[in-house]
Amino acid sequence: MIPELGYIALILALAAAVFAAGAAYYGRHTNQPRWIESARNATIATFPLITISCLLMIYSLVQGDFSVEYVWRVSSRDMPTYLKVTALWGGQAGSLLFWNFLLSVFTAAAMARNWRKQKELMPYAIMVASFTQIFFLSISVFVEHPFARLPAVPVDGNGLNPLLRHPGMIIHPPMLYLGFVGFTIPYSFAMSALISGKLDDVWIKITRRWTLVAWLFLSLGLVLGGRWAYDVLGWGGYWAWDPVENASFMPWLAGTAFLHSVMIQEKRNMFKMWNIFLILLTYCLVIYGTFIVRSGVISSVHSFAQSAIGPLFFAFIAVMFVFSAYWMLKRRVDLHSENRLNSLLSREAAFLYNNFLILAILLVVFLFTNYPIFSELITGEKGFVGPPVYEQALAPLFVLLLLLMGVAPLTMWYRSSAERIGMSLRWPALAALVFIGVLFALGIRGWGALLGFWVVSFSLILTLLEFWKGTRARMKKGENVFVAYSNLMARNRRRYGGYWIHLGVIVMAFGIIGVEIFQEQTQIRLGVGEKVSLGRYEMQFLSATRYAGPDDLIITEATVDVYDNGRYVGQLHPRSELYTRTNQPMTIPNARSTITEDFYVLMINWEPATADQATFRIYLNPLINWVWAGGVIFVIGTLVAAWPDPAVERSLSRRRRPAAAPTD
Amino acid sequence: MADTTWTTTGEEALFPAKNNRLKFAVGGVLLLAAIVYLIVNAMSGNTQLYKTVGEFYAEQDRLIGRDLRVAGFVVGDSIEFVQIDATTSRLEFDIVDDINNPSQRLHIVAMNEPKPDLLQHEAQALVEGSANENGEFISNPGGLLLKCPTRYEELDPAGHPDGIDMQTGNTN
Repeated sequence: MIPELGYIALILALAAAVFAAGAAYYGRHTNQPRWIESARNATIATFPLITISCLLMIYSLVQGDFSVEYVWRVSSRDMPTYLKVTALWGGQAGSLLFWNFLLSVFTAAAMARNWRKQKELMPYAIMVASFTQIFFLSISVFVEHPFARLPAVPVDGNGLNPLLRHPGMIIHPPMLYLGFVGFTIPYSFAMSALISGKLDDVWIKITRRWTLVAWLFLSLGLVLGGRWAYDVLGWGGYWAWDPVENASFMPWLAGTAFLHSVMIQEKRNMFKMWNIFLILLTYCLVIYGTFIVRSGVISSVHSFAQSAIGPLFFAFIAVMFVFSAYWMLKRRVDLHSENRLNSLLSREAAFLYNNFLILAILLVVFLFTNYPIFSELITGEKGFVGPPVYEQALAPLFVLLLLLMGVAPLTMWYRSSAERIGMSLRWPALAALVFIGVLFALGIRGWGALLGFWVVSFSLILTLLEFWKGTRARMKKGENVFVAYSNLMARNRRRYGGYWIHLGVIVMAFGIIGVEIFQEQTQIRLGVGEKVSLGRYEMQFLSATRYAGPDDLIITEATVDVYDNGRYVGQLHPRSELYTRTNQPMTIPNARSTITEDFYVLMINWEPATADQATFRIYLNPLINWVWAGGVIFVIGTLVAAWPDPAVERSLSRRRRPAAAPTD
Repeated sequence: MADTTWTTTGEEALFPAKNNRLKFAVGGVLLLAAIVYLIVNAMSGNTQLYKTVGEFYAEQDRLIGRDLRVAGFVVGDSIEFVQIDATTSRLEFDIVDDINNPSQRLHIVAMNEPKPDLLQHEAQALVEGSANENGEFISNPGGLLLKCPTRYEELDPAGHPDGIDMQTGNTN
């Protein structure tokens, strides 16, 4: 009965979404506000209905109702309750249900936040958002039925794959989904602005805020996915340019380009068409990414379902692309820029260069990701592009982007003086040169690494100087350094939040250069008491034991001593776990983490018959923790930039008041 | 933003808009040329052909020695990990296109690679490397990739798990 109720709730949600789209259309065209309000209520109603459906699925999972096929596939009796709950997004049908839930949360939130102030945009926003919701709900109701029953009731379920029983993997999918789903809202507002012809600066402000929220979650999802891979997969890496990873990275890039170029429109009323294009592109890449992840059309390390939803997604992308392109072309005259670039050395030009570079990166990633399809179409043979090709093609573009990140804040709107910028760059460039001189003296070689470190340190100095200049200007008014800095941040959240994001990227770049260029590894069999050296580290194998763990686990754990430059620094316990019921092993690394590097140890082979010998794979990952630290700084910066600014809210309200007054 | 003290008319008068279209067009063409160069340069000689086991054997003579990415299902009882000496290990296994009809097997050899956790019977493997004259496919360093866990689980052809063992709940 419970699963049937869940399914009925889903069908009702689908009916509500269909009604919302229809009522919004009818209300707008017959000019009847009651119908539009009714459409809003129906849109909001999808939220409790899908919530009920999700809760009933969670109830089935926790209760272990294995008559439901999905519950049987992704859970088992011996799984802890929290894993049973998170198994909601552990399989195709459940993750689509969860996707629907998040979409309903976002649309309900958009109704609550923007309804009163954006009445003219809302009918179309409801239509577009509902259309997306109808598509995903239809998939859940008609194709990937999450509550489908089995012909007979199994005693137990398959259980969640052990590799997914990691905190990073529990949080990573919801974050990515939130990012993906979140982009539906800015897209809906952009489309509503296009369809209604209300292309003033209001839609861009709403869209920017929602984009920032979606972008934050997508960033979190990307960082957490990397962290999970590093902690669990045991290959010492965090990013492999796999098509599924790229599927998340591409909308993130397009969103990043939009968040920068939107500032040109706000300031100079330029690039309206470009901004619309970017937000439509971001949404199309979101749907395309979902298609890649779930269709299996491109060979990936990640597992895919070869299910019937691939062609449906393809059709949906095609419809949305044609729909978006049609309205963009129809409004091309209204989207004409009111101003032109005054100088190639200006803030707006810098944003434009930023956009060129980001879209160039996006283009390369798109071409390489889809290379198997393109090569088969052109040559008849399916090809593949590996990570080294990505790295070789993208490295120069990332270097230029990092340089621009440091230099762009020095430019002024309209026109900048080359001489003034040159003066501002002189000392930071020299300081960065001194820094790499020190690195060289410390023994770091390789022009690629030194150039990379020069660029990131140069950008770091310039970014820190921006904070210092702002703080110093306030200190001249008599504020002490802490008060001055706090006020600077509080009064320019968007600008300085943005600089914190830049700082996060720069710190990550330090880490990426370190680990990509200077990673060392070795694999060796050691007898008890034997030692191996890697870099300045030495590791001694002391013992290995096997014991029964909780549930069906058998754990084999090694004990090794680690020495740094001959000094004992601690013990590590790399281990191997075997889930006996599914016969699934898991190799769990153990690392000595410091700010400068990770000494990362895996025990890859140990046989009870030769208990005095074990084989280890060891990685020395320089600056890897800078990647994670940069991620944290990045997220904090995004939160600062996205936090509502009371002054801006007041100014938006004032601007809207004359139009809204008669109806309020 | 801090630098908002401008008026459109005033600033436009100070800095009359020049037509920068030509400069941008030239810059755009140069950037596009640079991107094309980066792509072509990175790809030249570095792309792999993607082959299933059947496709590999259909053109075996042509493909020997070429950098390939082969895909197939792992035959569980063929997996063998041997630690030859302290610094040398050899991992071997066979992959097939159809686990129920393993007529053509491609023998994979990976030197000094750990045995991946996911290397099990029926697992889907993607292996980067090249085939030698002896019928072995030698994996590149780090070229042994096993498909990540079944977060999006495979549906069987009928769409229902007909092969469920009702006692254990496991598929047959």
